[in-house]
Amino acid sequence: MEAPFPAPGAARALADTVRKLSASSRRGYQNPYEAIEWPDELDREQWFTSPELISLYGTPWWDDLSDAGRKVLSFWEAVNFYSLNIAGERFLMEGIAHRLYRPGWEEVAEYLHHFLDEENKHSVWFGTFCHRYAGKVYPDRKVAFPRDYAEGEEDFLFFAEVSVFEEIVDRYNLAMARDERLVDVARRINDNHHTEETRHLVFGRRIVAELWRQWSDRWPAEVVERIRTHIAGFVTATWRDYYNPDVYRDAGLADPYAVARGAWEATVARRDAITARALRPLVAAGVLG
Amino acid sequence: MSDVREALRAWVRDHNPDVPAGEPADGTRLIECRYLTSLQVADLLLFIEELRQAPVDPASLKPGVFASIDDICAAFF
Repeated sequence: MEAPFPAPGAARALADTVRKLSASSRRGYQNPYEAIEWPDELDREQWFTSPELISLYGTPWWDDLSDAGRKVLSFWEAVNFYSLNIAGERFLMEGIAHRLYRPGWEEVAEYLHHFLDEENKHSVWFGTFCHRYAGKVYPDRKVAFPRDYAEGEEDFLFFAEVSVFEEIVDRYNLAMARDERLVDVARRINDNHHTEETRHLVFGRRIVAELWRQWSDRWPAEVVERIRTHIAGFVTATWRDYYNPDVYRDAGLADPYAVARGAWEATVARRDAITARALRPLVAAGVLG
Repeated sequence: MSDVREALRAWVRDHNPDVPAGEPADGTRLIECRYLTSLQVADLLLFIEELRQAPVDPASLKPGVFASIDDICAAFF
């Protein structure tokens, strides 16, 4: 039997936030097919990803690339960033749709419709770029095994994962929306995504905090520990997607698996800095110490 | 193939410091024993691709391919 989701008290506490976010979504409503102008073709020797955010930046492989090679890599890194967003948004949309209008959830259903609508638009943008300019979306390597959950645990983990994923992505979106070195279409995609994700981040922070408040005292210590371990594993799995050997292969680098492994080990500090910011809402809610 | 099995065993142990000595055996049920979680599969898949020096199409994965080292070897090598 599914748990009430969330408890009536939590839904009411979210209601005011939901009303404000829904009003903001309606004011900023965009037609996804008009929001971005798509050039017929793009020269790949331009910046599509901010150099400092490229997975190889600061590594020996970066040092060995020519300026043109770095720009081509920035194109494939953009394709990967958009591909991992498509995979993340597919997971998100499935989860939101599954929870839409569940008992006790009616007060936030209004915003869930906007959430779904906006995530679908983002996938339209990401998918259009990937297909039009790269001819593909990189495949998602994640596989979900069935497992058992304590009451309320699956809902909490779903929103915690969404929050962590979006907080990390938004650091990239915000930086690249402001980066005038980037091709206009790449800036626009990042800017539009950031604008709408800002609302999603507010919603995610609120609902994670509410669900934690609702359930954490009722879970035995081993469930709380399991949740914390899961979140740590999710952070690692999320970052792994940013070091994709398919990207390095497409950019012409030799031994792409060794490059992925080496870059992962060489850029710990950069990941840790972004992760620390991304986890602040979970720390503030008391989920993480 | 024994090198592949040993490499897979080492990967499991690296990701699970509490695995008892001698584990996992070729037939150990990796998922039931919690030696392999959903969150680790993408990383394992990359390791498998590197071992065989060829990509795997994730869309082609069948249920059970990660159940044990025997199953991984049968599916990917």
